[in-house]
Amino acid sequence: MRGFSVTEGAAVAYLDDEESTVIARIVADVGELLGADAFGSPGREDAGDAGQPRGEADALFRSIAGLDDTPAEPADPALRRLLPSASREDDEVAAEFRRLTEGDLRATKAGRLRTMWEQLNAPGEAWEVSLDEAMATASALTDVRLVLAARLSIDTDEDAERLHEEIDLATHAMGTDAHEDLGVDPERVWLGMLYQALTWLQESLLQCLITTEEEQDV
Amino acid sequence: MSTEEQIEREGAVATRLDDPWVTIVWNDPVNLMSYVTHVFQTYFQFTREEAEARMREVHERGRAVVSTGGRERMEVDVQAMHGYGLWATLQRSGA
Repeated sequence: MRGFSVTEGAAVAYLDDEESTVIARIVADVGELLGADAFGSPGREDAGDAGQPRGEADALFRSIAGLDDTPAEPADPALRRLLPSASREDDEVAAEFRRLTEGDLRATKAGRLRTMWEQLNAPGEAWEVSLDEAMATASALTDVRLVLAARLSIDTDEDAERLHEEIDLATHAMGTDAHEDLGVDPERVWLGMLYQALTWLQESLLQCLITTEEEQDV
Repeated sequence: MSTEEQIEREGAVATRLDDPWVTIVWNDPVNLMSYVTHVFQTYFQFTREEAEARMREVHERGRAVVSTGGRERMEVDVQAMHGYGLWATLQRSGA
């Protein structure tokens, strides 16, 4: 894996087949968590353009059918991180906000994830993101990291530091016979490493944006 | 900026003295400092220094007020922050 760097006016990272497959899979999972149709299912090619109006029509039909109830705060902590409450102390403000915005937010996030998924599925090792799209890609990476963080129970900065220590310990022990005694959950280590890889990719993408802007300022 | 947005903005400014609301961004362990700074620059048009100061406030104090105005305007800002994956809330100023 090679992080993003600016090449001929675009941010380009390099992932091997296995890396793109793993990342594309989690990207699709997060899309589906948001209620998008399965990524890569047949007949989705032209759905990107039709997504928005269809969403509006759906909302209209729901309201005609009297189904336009205010969506409840999601029970899944990961979904709650993607669609958080807009008020800590006023349920009325939170409910009103959710009613007005949740559909659009789901559509925006799912659309960005789908674009990223398509880029990851394109042939070749290069993952090219135009600088105009870089913030949308960085935001999609944030959404995936938010879901992984919820699955890994990262709620505080201390939790995040502890995860790094656990992974260091586990990767260090993998080279020895000690790994069976560590009591570390291999799935947690695997998800944690994926989280770290996405963090590193996102940071490299941000650095592309920052250096490009600094050059423009000069 | 569309005409509709301008009216909405003016409406928000007009109600500002009577009923000001604030948008608050909360610290979280996932969002990168570089990313939060960039979001503040991109969306609120803060200078780099201003954006970094707000980002540091979020990180060190756990929260920062990033915009003030009428409730509808704040809902737009909170929605935008949620779009970027930041955890934002709105509340009455001084509440």
